[in-house]
Amino acid sequence: MPHKCTKCGREYKDGSTEILKGCASCGNKKFLYVKEDQLNRDVLEEKTLQEIAVESKEEVLEVIEPKKKTKEVEMYDRVETIRIVSPGSYELNLEKMAESDERIVSVGREGSYIIDLMSMTKDEPKKKGRKK
Amino acid sequence: MGKMKKKFSGFVARFFKKKRTRIGIYGPPNAGKTTLANRIARDWTGDALGPVSEIPHETRRARKKEDIIISGANGSTVTIDIVDTPGVTTKVDYHEFLEFGMEKDEAIIRAREATEGVAEAMHWLREDINGVIYMLDSSLDPFMQVNIMMIGIIEARNLPVIIVANKIDLPDAAPGRIRSAFPQHPVVAISGLDGRNVEDLYETMLEYFG
Repeated sequence: MPHKCTKCGREYKDGSTEILKGCASCGNKKFLYVKEDQLNRDVLEEKTLQEIAVESKEEVLEVIEPKKKTKEVEMYDRVETIRIVSPGSYELNLEKMAESDERIVSVGREGSYIIDLMSMTKDEPKKKGRKK
Repeated sequence: MGKMKKKFSGFVARFFKKKRTRIGIYGPPNAGKTTLANRIARDWTGDALGPVSEIPHETRRARKKEDIIISGANGSTVTIDIVDTPGVTTKVDYHEFLEFGMEKDEAIIRAREATEGVAEAMHWLREDINGVIYMLDSSLDPFMQVNIMMIGIIEARNLPVIIVANKIDLPDAAPGRIRSAFPQHPVVAISGLDGRNVEDLYETMLEYFG
């Protein structure tokens, strides 16, 4: 049974891998699964594919872009200085550590943070004359 | 007589130097930072700084030795404090320590302390360090993210830096790789373990930290 593009109505054969790149005509990423005998119902009954979707109770499929694997880069954009991946396993953000004394620790994957308030209450570091 | 002279020049130096130079020994874990710190301390004060081990992150607290007076061949001296810092890395995982036969509980504690140690090392770099000896194991690839990043951070702070290509006693040591990786900084190839070439390092320290 085929898929139809919800925007322009272009038909795609069942199991077509073409739709994974989005609709070849309009670039739309949403497709409705329609029964063979109802393939032209939208045109005949002058209904949008959204309406057909509601009536046929089929789910509109959406092509989702695969997530980019940029874990390393992301790490240094994060706010925390120390990330606890699991007990005994840590990721350290050296650049953040070099900038300030604030300890922001994130725990696990849920993004809960621990902020060391004591380390933030200290005075600004004294300005020292630097030797050449 | 030589000893007297050393003592006297130190005495003079203490009066005339406005400020001591505080040198931090930085680098990734297991580069030989403590071995070098111990050698410097032993050579010039007869003392040591801390224990060394083949298991990474043996040094988890920064250790400091003050008033080390280094004198060169031409009689010039420099008074420095040496700060031996914990190995700096972007990832600490206790599994690494298990391979050395450590118990899990002990390894997890070591990982936590090592993490705190990195934070402490970075704290020192921000506030109390006037110059850096950046240590690398010359048998390993110098183009590691942590090295590039640390050298960048040190440069951003305008700190004088000497790069030490350590472990030249190892058969696969290639200090040339380190030289070509960081051509903008002086690189001294030594063996902290057997003391090969450390005299060169002392001369370079006089030149850059004096």
